[in-house]
Amino acid sequence: MVDEITPSWEDVAQRYGRKIYNFAYRLTGNPDDAADLVQEVLLRVRKGLSGYRPGSFDGWLWRITRNAFLDGVRRQNRRPESALPEGDHHALGSSPSPDEVLAAVRLSDDVQAALLKLPYAFREAVVLCDVVGLTYDEIADATDIPVGTVRSRIHRGRKMLRDLLTWPV
Amino acid sequence: MAGVNPLAFRREELFSAFLDGELSAEEAELVNELLHGDKEAMEEYRGVQQVRRALRMLPELEIPGWLLPDGHLGELLSAYLDGELSTAEQRQVSDHVVGCVQCRGELHDLDRARIAIRSLPGVDTGQLDTIPAPPASRSRRLAVAGSIGIAAAVALFFALSLGSQPEPAFSLDELGNHHIARASAEPGFAVFPPAIEVSGP
Repeated sequence: MVDEITPSWEDVAQRYGRKIYNFAYRLTGNPDDAADLVQEVLLRVRKGLSGYRPGSFDGWLWRITRNAFLDGVRRQNRRPESALPEGDHHALGSSPSPDEVLAAVRLSDDVQAALLKLPYAFREAVVLCDVVGLTYDEIADATDIPVGTVRSRIHRGRKMLRDLLTWPV
Repeated sequence: MAGVNPLAFRREELFSAFLDGELSAEEAELVNELLHGDKEAMEEYRGVQQVRRALRMLPELEIPGWLLPDGHLGELLSAYLDGELSTAEQRQVSDHVVGCVQCRGELHDLDRARIAIRSLPGVDTGQLDTIPAPPASRSRRLAVAGSIGIAAAVALFFALSLGSQPEPAFSLDELGNHHIARASAEPGFAVFPPAIEVSGP
């Protein structure tokens, strides 16, 4: 078995910085919060690398990222569990699909807005899966929940988004 | 019977996981069977597929360059000098400046400019307001303000002229001492990066 080489802090920043930034941006919709998170995660990685035991590096990193994010939320007294507003399920994206580029831009705005309406647990699962590109196992590892729950949360998150985003199928 | 059909709910979950390639062989086979000739199931499947695609087509945003090790700090440096950064940001700047010649030079220049600007003579407007106004007070005040302005401009000119002279060797000691003085006057302000050795005054 080949030993996994622990990456340097700089490697982590270069390789994962953008992913972490996108993860945070999609969860918060805010570039400043996303930048803060990247800084915090990289600091924690720098401190923690010496104690890292070769294994699932992605799981380790995303656990740090997730914890840093939740700590930030707590610090700002934001509630991570935001309830889906009553009667607001169809508030977004009522316009049908225009075409090509304009549609893509609009759609991404609508998707981002809809994402922010999801309760945290579902938003996180969907973002880790569809934005970060982790497998269900990796998400389970990072979030410390069973794979079955991950699968259910991703499905329910997507279903909520489907209800929030109305476009012709 | 009213309520959610658990089988239908499970079906959608299967579609979602199927699209992610996360099903066992048996479950994947089940999905194929479910989709075979069932229009309603196909519609559900397409719905899940559409949401998933929309999420995956979200543009990947560029990370601001200064967050990366080979990026530079830019405006963070001024905020650092003013003690306006969070503890985490201060550490970020400290760590970066130790290894980045460009940002260290910029920090040094900013620090000098900042000292020059802060050393300009100030105007105590409160005192000016309490001075009894002589008949020609308006023009006199303007003259006072004007002369202060000229003095300030001259001082700034000299300060900037000094700054534009050939750069002396970068002295961490000098900058470190300044920060030690500042840190002692302002509790809580981070002293110059601990990784940079600074000799005491």
